[in-house]
Amino acid sequence: MSDFANNIKNTALLEIKNLNLSFGGIKAVQNVSFDLKENELLGLIGPNGAGKTTVFNMISGFYRADSGDILFQSKNVVKKINDLKPDAVNKIGIARTFQNIRLFGQLSVLDNVQLALQQRAPIAWFDSIFRTKKYLQTELDLKNESLELLKIFSLDVLSNEKASQLSYGLQRKLEIVRALATKPKLLILDEPAAGMNQTETDDLKKLILFIKDHFNLTVLLIEHDMKFVMSICERIVVLNRGEKIADGTPTEIKKNNSVIEAYLGKRSVANV
Amino acid sequence: MINAMMALGLNFITGVANQFSLGSAGFIALGAYTSAVLTKEFFHAWYLIPLTALIGASVSGLAGYLVSIPSFRLKGDYLAIVTMGFAEIVRVIFLNWNYVGAARGYNGIMKWPDFSWAYFVTGSFLILTFTILYHLKISCFGRNLWALNEDEIAAEVMGTPVARSKRTAFMISSFFSGLAGAMYAHHLGYISPGSFGFLMTVNVLIISVLGGLGSMSGSVIAAAILTALPEVLRSLPTGDIDIRMIVFPILLILMMILRPQGLFGRKEIWDTK
Repeated sequence: MSDFANNIKNTALLEIKNLNLSFGGIKAVQNVSFDLKENELLGLIGPNGAGKTTVFNMISGFYRADSGDILFQSKNVVKKINDLKPDAVNKIGIARTFQNIRLFGQLSVLDNVQLALQQRAPIAWFDSIFRTKKYLQTELDLKNESLELLKIFSLDVLSNEKASQLSYGLQRKLEIVRALATKPKLLILDEPAAGMNQTETDDLKKLILFIKDHFNLTVLLIEHDMKFVMSICERIVVLNRGEKIADGTPTEIKKNNSVIEAYLGKRSVANV
Repeated sequence: MINAMMALGLNFITGVANQFSLGSAGFIALGAYTSAVLTKEFFHAWYLIPLTALIGASVSGLAGYLVSIPSFRLKGDYLAIVTMGFAEIVRVIFLNWNYVGAARGYNGIMKWPDFSWAYFVTGSFLILTFTILYHLKISCFGRNLWALNEDEIAAEVMGTPVARSKRTAFMISSFFSGLAGAMYAHHLGYISPGSFGFLMTVNVLIISVLGGLGSMSGSVIAAAILTALPEVLRSLPTGDIDIRMIVFPILLILMMILRPQGLFGRKEIWDTK
């Protein structure tokens, strides 16, 4: 019995097995498998159209895989999450951000975070209509909790601003904070450094490392910016044309021939 | 006051949750007919009108829930067309149903004994509607709706039960439309399928938009203005020519140019920021 429990603890937090998905005749993802250990920071890279975002969307519940399994370990139980809807995926502990920022622009910074937090503390209609003590107390707790979370990222001073009025870098940051507010175990970042300048990217790097430690998270990162990925990730998985072509530490990946081929073409391999 | 209630019902689903519904008239009709039939055939007592009105509203809310299950697979314009279709189905059913008078309309509905009662009950229901919808708007549930209004995908990823929230909102909205319909029936004492046509939905929609989508107090104020305005214009010294129906639309157009977000936008009249 204890052996069994041990076994589960050692298995990966997220395990992807032989995932396949095609759109019509295009095989977007073919036989992709990889896993993520607890507290790991894994980068998923690949040229345009390699199927990175498709894999993301399958994990977060927007696409349904044609075949293959997505296994997620929640509360020491491994669950198959292929058929879950996005909100259910979020509930078991996977949060994500988007390539193009998707904040609730007309809502305040505070409301953005509070919305994510409140999904954990549902309030009955009855309470909200009659504004009972319980309702007011819960709202107050939620608000304070949101403010505390914002404070960690020094966004609390902006809590009453509309989210759309923040600068690009801050919007990215807020999106990450909002994802954190759902209290995930696994955080998936879809190209967080897209459209950022060098200073902003450096800040982002610090931010990601900070939240990983502070909230004890496992992070899966999709990114185009090679320098960024190489400097931050502990392990990297490379996709090309829907297939996994490499899996290893940044140094291993840099030397991997098929990766260089995928990015630069065959000739340059010959030149190296 | 009745207009205000109708507009509040619609504003909740169209303004707060951004689900464009054109089915108002259908739900209003359901509430009106249910309450009318109940008082005339079964209860025969004017003081039971509030009760029958609530039953009418519940029937309407239930219908709203059933309609929402298949129709909220659609979004935007398509949803509008489906809800419009629903309203039309309701109208046609009443038009051909002899028990409720078919095309002749339904006569002799129990009325209030005098005006003060009418005002008192309708007013109380309006306050009730307003309070409940406003509280829901600023509650957690309202925040869910605002979020899916802004970005459905992001809301879903944040764990908002999008489909369920929409259905609930639609049910609440049709409940209050039905309640308004019941008030309408007992106010006039006569209803006919003709009065629940598309024009009624449009009127209700105009009020919601003019007051500001998502602003509950805006709807109430816009309803007051739009109900009073034709009467005020009636007294214009224009001799025999009736220019009311020319001035009225022009005012509406001007209004939409000057304040496209409606009188109050999403805010309430007492919101400072």
